Amino acid sequence: MKLHPLAWVAWLLSTLVALSVTRNPLYLLIVLLCIAIVGNLSPKSQTRYKLPTALFVLLLVTSCCFNALTVHYGNSVLFRLPEWIPVVGGVITLEAALYGLLNGCVLIGFLLAFQVIMQVITSQELVGLLPPAFYPIAVVVTIALGFVPTTIQQIGKIRDAQAIRGHRLQGWRDWLPLWMPLLIGGLERAFQLAEAMVARGFASNDRPKQIIGDQIALVCGMLLLLAGWFVRLVWGLGGVGIGAMLIGALLIGLTLWRIGKRSPRSHYRTRRWHLNDSIVLLASLLFAGLLLAPLDLLDRRSLYYYPYPELSLPEFQTWLGLCFLCLLTPIVVSLLNNPKEIGS
Amino acid sequence: MISFEQVSFSYPQAQKPLLEQVNLEIPEGSFCLVVGASGSGKSTLLRCINGLVPHFSGGRLSGNIRVDGLDPVRESPQVMSRHVGFVFQDPEAQFVVNQVEDEIAFALEHAAIPQQEMRIRVEEVLGLLDLGELRERELHTLSGGQQQRVAIAAALALRPNILVLDEPTSQLDPQSADDVLQALVRLNADLGITIVLAEHRIERVLPFIDHLIAVQVDPITGKRSVIEGEPRELLQQIELVPPLIALGKALAWQPLPLSIKEGLRHSRPLARQLSQLQPPQPLKHSDVPVIKLHKLNSGYGQHTVFEDLDLELWAGEITVLLGRNGVGKSTLLRTIVGLQPIRKGAVEIMGRSTRGKSVAEICQQVGYLPQDPNALLFSDTVRDELLISLANHKITGPAALERADVLLHKLGLVELAEAYPRDLSVGERQRVALAAISVSEPQAFLLDEPTRGLDYVAKERLAELLHTWRSEGKTLLIVTHDVEFAASIADRIVLLGSDGITADGPASEVLGASPLFAPQIARLFPQTGWLTSQQALQHLLAKS
Repeated sequence: MKLHPLAWVAWLLSTLVALSVTRNPLYLLIVLLCIAIVGNLSPKSQTRYKLPTALFVLLLVTSCCFNALTVHYGNSVLFRLPEWIPVVGGVITLEAALYGLLNGCVLIGFLLAFQVIMQVITSQELVGLLPPAFYPIAVVVTIALGFVPTTIQQIGKIRDAQAIRGHRLQGWRDWLPLWMPLLIGGLERAFQLAEAMVARGFASNDRPKQIIGDQIALVCGMLLLLAGWFVRLVWGLGGVGIGAMLIGALLIGLTLWRIGKRSPRSHYRTRRWHLNDSIVLLASLLFAGLLLAPLDLLDRRSLYYYPYPELSLPEFQTWLGLCFLCLLTPIVVSLLNNPKEIGS
Repeated sequence: MISFEQVSFSYPQAQKPLLEQVNLEIPEGSFCLVVGASGSGKSTLLRCINGLVPHFSGGRLSGNIRVDGLDPVRESPQVMSRHVGFVFQDPEAQFVVNQVEDEIAFALEHAAIPQQEMRIRVEEVLGLLDLGELRERELHTLSGGQQQRVAIAAALALRPNILVLDEPTSQLDPQSADDVLQALVRLNADLGITIVLAEHRIERVLPFIDHLIAVQVDPITGKRSVIEGEPRELLQQIELVPPLIALGKALAWQPLPLSIKEGLRHSRPLARQLSQLQPPQPLKHSDVPVIKLHKLNSGYGQHTVFEDLDLELWAGEITVLLGRNGVGKSTLLRTIVGLQPIRKGAVEIMGRSTRGKSVAEICQQVGYLPQDPNALLFSDTVRDELLISLANHKITGPAALERADVLLHKLGLVELAEAYPRDLSVGERQRVALAAISVSEPQAFLLDEPTRGLDYVAKERLAELLHTWRSEGKTLLIVTHDVEFAASIADRIVLLGSDGITADGPASEVLGASPLFAPQIARLFPQTGWLTSQQALQHLLAKS
């Protein structure tokens, strides 16, 4: 049984939070392993998008070198670059290189988490989570996502076509014969698609109804949100600020709901919400909350690994390490539900 | 059901109207074919039926159009989408989402059809178009024919009474095209849906139609006229027709046959009187083949497309490569010019291996035209396209200008020298692309599906050009699905199957013996070696 897209989005958010809050290599390793396990064992919804390994290596190397060359701090000096070289001149330390490597791991984690999401839910399911008022935007996003692989294919075709005319890519000017057909071809495809969508009745109920009340309500909602945030930040009036923000959010939500009701849409696929979805959602929210909520009761010092000025072994708290395993919930619930589906 | 009364239409900023005082009456439940040259206004005529013209295109329209009791100009295409399903030439260009079922349901979701009803309708069209097994598939994994059937299913989901299709089979191989046409015949016969179809390869469609519309352009005045009627009557008035019709008209066969089955009634008595033709003369070759493939292997990733392929191509010979979709015809051409890596074996051009040479270097000796000539064109004028190709080959200045002008003249493009290439018709664009790849004066040409989207006039011009190149001693290897075109130009036919080359020999022998690729004339007069209506007429008239 596949999970609901909303449950997957909750898993993605908690993974991104986990990657953002820690630089402890042990916890990072756990997160990366969890992402890899979930990615490999979850039932796939569409073509497996796989980012090239070379990209990950490039990210690691770039991040490591960038940090090592720009942060001249740490006791374990590897070598020195002349001081007169701007920015990179100075001591190059093992600590800076290691911290750069950890940042690279975090970036790879982000990419892998998004790769998992692109495998387990379709772009249509993803944009289907948007409220009905955003239906045209959702369609546009779906089409835009579909244009990416087509455009990549087109680049290959055009590059080949220009090569057979004897074209060689040497300077930036040589890219013009590639970009022009790509741009013109892209516009032509967009035009054809627009025509096809009109022929299929797209926008048939979308005659612009300029309802001024909705527009005013949306603007007021935004202003209230901003004002609440400002009042809380500048004058420290927490209660008033949060109140204004809540009213603003409510106003925006209600207005969007009203707009959505006026342009009814039906859904061919409606994913039912199951107990498994609730478990994944709850586990994800609890885990993210645990990492983010300002609760003094919990000792989270081991999250903040800092290798400067001298390399040290990272701390590891077992209870926190176990909490990171919450990221495996999608696999655990699938395993309990139907073990045969795993890895399909 | 569909009526046009004194309809005229001009595109914005056009000096002349494209449609002038058109009067039409397409009966309900008919299967109607619209024919005419490229740019004659067929697509515009079709787009008037659902209101895309003038709502989407802009322009001025006068006269009255009634479709299913509605006026599409007043109602807009969105309203007409419930009455008229529209299918475009390129299925990929009309897909919104990436899965078969979702694509079919897209218009229904938008129309807020209740989910239960939606499920019934999706099942209905999946069954009608035999797509049940493909329902979960992603669209980019389907073949061209399957994609076009999904496009038709998506258009039918709103249960229209009329289905309009703009050259739906132009990009398909014969088998896939046949699948699509059979689906249309079922829709027309079983559900009574009115089908209006524009098509260039009319030999595929003629057996199924009961109404014909011809959009004609006067070659002198450029004035357009639209005539309609019963197919057999109207075909007598149309000049460029498929070989079967051309032969039937020349021999005054009555009633004029529209299908091979009907044609055989006339041809069998004649065929009995015919003696066996002389076997074709073996082709004479020079000592060294221009292109030689030796034990060639190629593929993508883990997938091997062909292995141990041997082929020799000679000067002054037109070879046509035929085969089902996916057997590796295009891959073979790409491997020869270096766009696809050679896994094993060798490609030799004029006796020298291409190993280590760049694509640009190989293409100085071998001109290659890919399936989509648009990918080649990016300059502001046709002349610039040629000058840029020449500059790529390090030829600039007055010498380049002179060479470009000579080539423009040779390819009949002088009048279009200052035109913007992408504004030209399909046939003209293809000639510009051919000019762009031939400026380096290569010894051989590889052309991938050169007749895609071409009308009969453009095909005739292309055939003339290919014959000119052959007479100049060039080597030509052409990949096509258009068997009638292959029959009209080929000296030699190579059939490529999934296990490699399955037949290789003179066109009359290979095409005449192939149940899948035999042209119309070879089917009418089997074992005669005739492939074209001209050959058949020549022999039959000589005998009489």
